[in-house]
Amino acid sequence: MLIDLDLSDGRPLYQQIVDEVRRAVVQGTLAAGDPLPSVRALAAELRVNPNTVQQAYRELERAGVVYSRRGQGTFAARPGGDGERELLLGDVAERAIRDARRFGFEPHELAEAILRAAGNAATIPSTQE
Amino acid sequence: MGLSFLPTRVGDTPLAVETRGVEKRYGGGAAALAGLDLQVPEGAVYVLAGPNGAGKSTALKILLDLVRADRGEARVCGLPTTRRPALVRAQIGFVPEVVETAYGWLTAREFLAHHAAFYATWDAGYADALCQRLAVPLHARVESLSKGALRRMALVSALAHRPAVLLLDEPTDGLDPLAREEFCALLVEHLTTAPTTVLWSTHHVHEADRMADHVGVIQEGRLVMQAPRDTVSASLRRYRAQVPPAWTGAPGLNGDVLLREGAGREIAWTVWGPEREVASRLEAAGAVVRDALPLSLEEATLALLRAGREG
Repeated sequence: MLIDLDLSDGRPLYQQIVDEVRRAVVQGTLAAGDPLPSVRALAAELRVNPNTVQQAYRELERAGVVYSRRGQGTFAARPGGDGERELLLGDVAERAIRDARRFGFEPHELAEAILRAAGNAATIPSTQE
Repeated sequence: MGLSFLPTRVGDTPLAVETRGVEKRYGGGAAALAGLDLQVPEGAVYVLAGPNGAGKSTALKILLDLVRADRGEARVCGLPTTRRPALVRAQIGFVPEVVETAYGWLTAREFLAHHAAFYATWDAGYADALCQRLAVPLHARVESLSKGALRRMALVSALAHRPAVLLLDEPTDGLDPLAREEFCALLVEHLTTAPTTVLWSTHHVHEADRMADHVGVIQEGRLVMQAPRDTVSASLRRYRAQVPPAWTGAPGLNGDVLLREGAGREIAWTVWGPEREVASRLEAAGAVVRDALPLSLEEATLALLRAGREG
């Protein structure tokens, strides 16, 4: 699992850690039962306040994404299946909509443009064969 | 001041460092501190940001009782700094902006041994490990050390007794980029092993961005704003919007605008307040809000300082 933080992102750092762990669970790079790095190790690696990592782990535990065993550490729980994937996709969509609005486009225009672009992308490799 | 809408009190939480109405004037000059009310919660990493000459170093020296306030009171771990200075200093690790080399003829090793004698909780093993990590030239005379090496030695002397409160005055000044990285990593590791409150004074705010959980912005000897970092992150946005010709502004919003930028029909306002509310008030006044951009800690500090100067 690779956790990437972006300081110019509007989300608080703990939220970014939460989102990255969720992503890793959905993508399967963090399988059920896999251990997460200790608070100490992750804080040192990311150069963030240990309290920030603790807050992220607390949040993940509350959401059922991870569980902790006293004295053993924190582990990935069984992935929430489609629900978790949908949550993540919703975040991606919201970010795209915000970006589109910045340039004055409405969500339905964005959706159409995405389908067009995806269609083009799908046809490009076949025309090159 | 016109910025009274900004928070300056941290709220009900045990404080490791507190000053109340501290004033200080050197000689006949302008006031270095003009009523400073610092509130650093226990366990916080508190970044005290401000330009040179804003009073940051004076504030730290008052906490150590190296400088006496003209008025007001300062407490560290609940202890008044002027009444129990020795006890207070035992609780503190201090990295000064300028490392004094009063014992320049000593080697770094001898200097640290001399320093260690003042601290009952000094951990010699930890000090050795820190010296190795930071490549402190232990056999060189203190007076021959570069600014960076002095800094690294000062850091060892500030950490090795695992103080309850760590006061850092521009701790990365004079360090090269690699040493800065190392400093930040070391600080994080220290925090995971020892419960410490950090008061980090700096004008390089971006270096503290990943670690800060509280922020104070100081200008001309008093705080423009003091709040948990998440409050700052959530409350400050730069709104970019298109406005109708001859737009006269948004009534009901004007009190919370920190900066007004933009040209013609495009505005970029930095506003303090809940995003939805601010955006809807701008929209109600005829503006079409394109986006509400979050600010990095450094951008936020700069905006607050600029507004403080103009306000």
